[in-house]
Amino acid sequence: MSRLEIYSPEGLRLDGRRWNELRRFESSINTHPDAADGSSYLEQGNNKIITLVTGPQEPRLRSQASFSHASVSVNLNITKFSRMERSKASHRNERRVLEMQTALVRTFEKNVMLHLYPRTSIDIQVHVLQQDGGLMSSLINGITLALIDAGIAMYDYISSVSVGLYDTTPLLDMNSLEENAMSSVTLAVVGKSEKLSLLLVEDKIPLDRFESVLAIGIAGAHRVRELMDKELRRHGQKRLANASK
Amino acid sequence: MVYQKKRLSEGLSVTQKMFVRSRNGGATKIIREHYLRSDIPCLSKACTECVKIVTPNANKELPNFVLSANPMKLEGVGKHYVVLDANIILQAIDLLEGPACFSDVIVPQIVLDEVRNRSYPVYTRMRTLCRDSDDVKRFIIFHNEFFEPTYVERKEGESINDRNDRAVRKTCQWYSEHLQNYGIKVVLVTNDRANRELASKEGVIAKSLYEYVDALPNGDEIKDNLPNLEAPAANGNSQEAKSEFKFPSYYSTSRIMGGLRSGVLYQGSIQISEYNFLEGSISLSNFSKPVIIVGQQNLNRAFNGDQVVVELLPDSEWRAPSTVALDSEHFDVNDNADDVEDTETPVFSDKERRLLAQSAIQAQKASRVQPTARVVGIVRRSWRQYVGQITPNSFDMKNGGTQNVFVILMDRCLPKIRMRTRRANELVDKRIVVAIDSWPENYKYPLGHFVRDLGKIESVQAETEALLLEHDVEYRPFSKKVLECLPSEGNDWKAPENLSDPESLAKDNLLSKRRDLRDKLICSIDPPGCVDIDDALHAKKLPNGNWEVGVHIADVTHFVKAGTALDAEGASRGTSVYLVDKRIDMLPMLLGTNLCSLKPYVDRFAFSVLWELNDNADIVNVDFAKSVIKSREAFSYEQAQLRIDDSNQSDELTQGMRALLHLSIKLKQKRLDAGALNLASPEVKVHMDSETSDPGEVEIKELLATNSLVEEFMLLANISVARKIYEAFPQTAMLRRHAAPPATNFETLNEMLQLRKHMSISLESSKALADSLDRCKDPEDPYFNTLVRIMSTRCMMAAQYFYAGAYSYSDFRHYGLAVDIYTHFTSPIRRYCDVVAHRQLAAAIGYEPLDLGHRDKNKMDMVCRNINKRHRNAQFAGRASIEYYVGQVMRNNESEETGYVIRVFHNGIVVLVPKFGVEGLIRLENLTDDVQSAKFFEDQFRLSFTSSIAKKVQDIYIFDKVNVQVKSVLDPVTSKRKAQLLLK
Repeated sequence: MSRLEIYSPEGLRLDGRRWNELRRFESSINTHPDAADGSSYLEQGNNKIITLVTGPQEPRLRSQASFSHASVSVNLNITKFSRMERSKASHRNERRVLEMQTALVRTFEKNVMLHLYPRTSIDIQVHVLQQDGGLMSSLINGITLALIDAGIAMYDYISSVSVGLYDTTPLLDMNSLEENAMSSVTLAVVGKSEKLSLLLVEDKIPLDRFESVLAIGIAGAHRVRELMDKELRRHGQKRLANASK
Repeated sequence: MVYQKKRLSEGLSVTQKMFVRSRNGGATKIIREHYLRSDIPCLSKACTECVKIVTPNANKELPNFVLSANPMKLEGVGKHYVVLDANIILQAIDLLEGPACFSDVIVPQIVLDEVRNRSYPVYTRMRTLCRDSDDVKRFIIFHNEFFEPTYVERKEGESINDRNDRAVRKTCQWYSEHLQNYGIKVVLVTNDRANRELASKEGVIAKSLYEYVDALPNGDEIKDNLPNLEAPAANGNSQEAKSEFKFPSYYSTSRIMGGLRSGVLYQGSIQISEYNFLEGSISLSNFSKPVIIVGQQNLNRAFNGDQVVVELLPDSEWRAPSTVALDSEHFDVNDNADDVEDTETPVFSDKERRLLAQSAIQAQKASRVQPTARVVGIVRRSWRQYVGQITPNSFDMKNGGTQNVFVILMDRCLPKIRMRTRRANELVDKRIVVAIDSWPENYKYPLGHFVRDLGKIESVQAETEALLLEHDVEYRPFSKKVLECLPSEGNDWKAPENLSDPESLAKDNLLSKRRDLRDKLICSIDPPGCVDIDDALHAKKLPNGNWEVGVHIADVTHFVKAGTALDAEGASRGTSVYLVDKRIDMLPMLLGTNLCSLKPYVDRFAFSVLWELNDNADIVNVDFAKSVIKSREAFSYEQAQLRIDDSNQSDELTQGMRALLHLSIKLKQKRLDAGALNLASPEVKVHMDSETSDPGEVEIKELLATNSLVEEFMLLANISVARKIYEAFPQTAMLRRHAAPPATNFETLNEMLQLRKHMSISLESSKALADSLDRCKDPEDPYFNTLVRIMSTRCMMAAQYFYAGAYSYSDFRHYGLAVDIYTHFTSPIRRYCDVVAHRQLAAAIGYEPLDLGHRDKNKMDMVCRNINKRHRNAQFAGRASIEYYVGQVMRNNESEETGYVIRVFHNGIVVLVPKFGVEGLIRLENLTDDVQSAKFFEDQFRLSFTSSIAKKVQDIYIFDKVNVQVKSVLDPVTSKRKAQLLLK
C-alpha cells in the first residue's frame, strides 16, 4: 500500500482542503413530501443521506406511549452499496449500527420539545446511500433538517462535524481516508452556543491537544449551522412565494 | 469520464477524482473528492502577488517564500527556476542533494506523488531536501493538482502518464506567465524526448538532464555524477560487454503474481554468502532450511538483500551448500566455470512444480542436499550508495577522456560496478562513493555513476567515512533546526536549587512532581574516560534490615521532547556509534556529555528506579520517579574495585558500594540459575597512543567484578521498567526480546562437536544450553570453551526491539537473559529505545501524558524497525572499525600466533586468531604447492594436503589448534588492508 501524505508540510490535505475547511455541504428539505411528514437530503462530501421523519403520531403499540412526552425512535439503514466495496451482509443489526441509533436517540431526546407531544411517537428513518467518513455527523445534520421540515419543535439547531488529530494538527470534517489514518472525535453543537449535545470519542486523543480539537470542531459546527440555516430560509422563501401566488 | 466542476465559494471549487482499483481479480470504482483552490502561492521571493493570498496553518504560521528573487543565470536562458520530472528525481537524487548544482527548484506535487509511489526512500529524501533547504538549495513542492489554474483533466484515451506529463507542462506554463514580469524563466528538466518536444510546442523551455548540466558553468565537473543511462547500443565496443553474454529476462509482473498465488514461485529476501559471492540463499516460510541459489545466471542480477521472486530448479540440480570460498574481487571473468549452467531449463507444468516443492521439503529433512532455485524477478532492490575504488587495470591510464572503469565495492558480497568517468586517473587511488543506476540483461555488471570521493585509500579519514557510509550511519553534524531545540542556556544550564521555587516552576510546571534525591549517596561507575554517564547507583540500609537500592538514569526526555526536530533526529539515528577513535552521537554533544550526563558534584535531573531489596536480593517493592540527584563520585571500574577492596575505607558511600556488590552477586547467581547464557565474542580493544593517536596494542576485553555490579542492576532496572510499561501500555510498550534459536542453527556445530570432541550442545532450554556449554571443555586447552561459546553465539538469533502488540506475551521472552520480559531503559543518551521507554514510563507513573506517536502501533512499528536496523549497523560499523585498526597494528608487527580452525572449505580453511580477534581464510594455494592432490572430506570436516613447508601430508580438522603467521597486507585489487594468515 502506498503511504499517503495525509497532511502535507505545505498545509494541504489529501483532497486539497486546508486543515480548517469543511467539505462540500449541500442539503435540501421536503424532498419526500408524500412519504413522510418531514424529509431531507444531505450531501456532505461524498456522504449521501436521505432522512424521513414521521410523527408526531400515535404509537404503533399502546405500550410504547408515555403520558408525559413523545418517544423518539431512529431506524438507521446503511445500504450495502454505500461503501467502496459492496458488503455481503446487511448492516441492520450490527452492533455498531445499534450503538449509533442509541446515540442519535439520546441526542435528539434532549433537544426536541418532547413534552409538547405526549402519548405520541416520532419515528426517524435514515438511509445512507453513500458514505465517505464522518458518517455520524452527517446523520445528525440530516435528522436536524428533517425534524425541522416536519415542524417538530426543537430548542435549536443541532449541527455536527467530525474532527481528527493528525500529529498536532486538528483536521476538520474528515473523509474516510483520513478517518482511517488517525484518531477522531465527533461533536454536535446546540445552535450558536458552545454547548455540546454529543461528543463521541472512539479512539485515544491526547488530553493536551483536546482543547484545540474542540475549538475547531465547534467553529466548524457553527459553520454547518449557518449552511443549514441558509438552505432552510431559501426553502421557506420558496414556499412563501408559492403560497402567495 | 468528465466531471463537472462545482464552484463552492470564491476561490474554491470541487470536482471528483475517479479511478479503478483492481484487487483479487475484481475491480472497484473509487470516487474521491478533489478540491481546487486559488490560494496556492508560487513561493518566489520575487513575486509581489502571492504574498497577498497566503493563509496560515493550524499553528498560525505563514508559508516561507523560498525561491530566490535573483536565481542563477543559465546560458542561453537567463535567470531561471527548474521544474523536475519524476524520473530525474528517482535517477539523480544524489545529484539534486549535492551542493554543486540545482538550486531554486520547483517540484510539482504530481511528480512527488509518482516518486512516492515508486520509491518511498527517495520521496523522504526529497521531502527532507525541501524542508532543510531554506537558504542554499531552495527546493519547493508546488501543489499543482489542487491549484485551479494548473489542474488538468484527463482526456479521452489519454494514458495516465501522458496526463501527468501534461500537468507538469501546465505547471511550467503557469509559472512562466506568472513570473514573466520579474524576468525569471522556467526550465523543465526531463529525459523523456517526447515530453520535451511537446513542451517546446507549448512554449516551455525543456532540457534533458545532460543538456541542462552542460549549460551550467561548472558543468564539466558535474557530468561524472550523472546517472549512467546509456543505451546498450551506444557502447558495443566496451571491453566486457560481450554480445553473446545475456542474463535471463525477468518474468512479467502478471506471471509473477500468478505464480506466487498458485504457489509455484516464492518471494523472499536474498542473502549472498559471505564466502562465496556466486551463491545466495533465501529463507522461505514453507521450507525448513534456506533454499540456495548458485551461479551468476541463477542469481540473475540479484543484489544482497534484494526482495526477489524465485523458482525451484529440477531436483537433478539440487546440491549441498558449496564448500568453495570465492571472492568477487579475485574472480575473473575469463576462467569462471559457472556458465555450464543450462540456460535452457526444461519446461514444467505448474502441477509438476508443486510436486517438486513437496519433494524439496522432503529432501531438506532427509539429507544435506538442498533444493536450488533461480531468480525470475526482483520485487524491490536494496540499492543504496556504495563505497569502493576503481580497479587500476580496468582503464587506460594515458587516456584522459571519458572511459568506462570498474569499481570494486568494499562489500564482498557484491559484484563490480561499471561506470563512466573522465577523471579515472585522478580517482584511481581514492575511496569513492558510487550509486547504481541499472543492470540491463546484456550487461555482465551493473551500471553506476560516481557520487563523490572520500579521500586517499588508507587515510584514516577516508576509511572511517567509508565504513560509516557502508553501514549507513548518519555522521553529518546536527542541523541548525536540531540544535535550536537545545536549552538556550547551553553549558550554563543548571538544575534549579529549590524545586518549589516559583520562578523555576513557571519555566517547568512539572518540576513539583520531581523527587529530591540530592541527599542520597549516589555514585557512578563507568569505563575509564567515559564522558556520557547515563547511569548512577546508590544503596542504603533501611531500618527493617532491607536495602534501598536506586538506579538513576539520565533524564534525557526532559530535554528531548517528543515531536521536536531533535527527537526526530534521535529517532532516525537510533543509536550512538562507537568506533575505535571516534564516537558518532545520537544526541548533540551538549546533552550527551554535559546536561544529561550524571556528572559528579553537580545537580542533575534523573529518572530513578528505587527498589526495596531484602538480603537475598528479592524485590520487596519497586518505585519509579523523576528526580534530582547529585552524584558524589564518578568511578572507573578499576577505581570502584579498589575502593571496595580497600578495607581502610568505611565511609557510608563505600559501604553502599559493598552492599551493591554483595547484592549484585546474588542477582547474578539467580539469573544464571534461571538459565541465563554466558556467551562470548572474540572482541578486542585497541589501545591508542595518547600522543600520536596511532593505534598501539590490541587487548582482549577483560571484566572486573564491578563491571558485573553495574550490569546486574541495569538488567534489574530494565526488567522492572519493562513490567511497568507493559502494564500501562499493553499494546505499544517498547520492549526487547530474544527468540530461542531454532535447532537447525546448531546442527552443523553439533555435528562438528560430536565428531571431533564427542560433545554436544543441548537446546531444550536456555538452562540446558548454558549447562551444556559449561560442559564443552577441553582440559588441555582452556580457550576451547570460549571458542565453542563464540561459535554458538553465531548460531543464536539476534535480539530485537518490538512493541508489545507485535507478539504474544509468551514470545516476549529474552532467551539469553532468561527473563520473561525485558526492555532497554538505562542508556537514553546513546539509544533511542531507552528514550521511548522513558517517555512511556513517565506516562505510566502519571508524570506527563504520552506522546501520540508512542501510543500508535504503526508508528511504534516504524520506530522499532528503524532502531533494530540502526543497532545492527552500529555493531557492524564498530567491528569494522576495530578490524581496520587491528590491521594497522599488525602492519607494524608481524607475528606468529595460535589460531583455531573454525571452518573447513574445499579450497581453504578459516582460522580465528583470538589474540587479535581476527579471522581469515587461508587458501589452499597458500597451504600447499600441489593443489590437485588435496582432498576434502566433507563429512569429517577434514582437509588433507601436502604441506608446502613440511613436505608431508597434513590433515587439518575443524577445531584444530594451529600456529599461524599473522601479517597485514594490502590487497592489490581492492586496496583493503586485511590480516593475512599463513600456516606455520
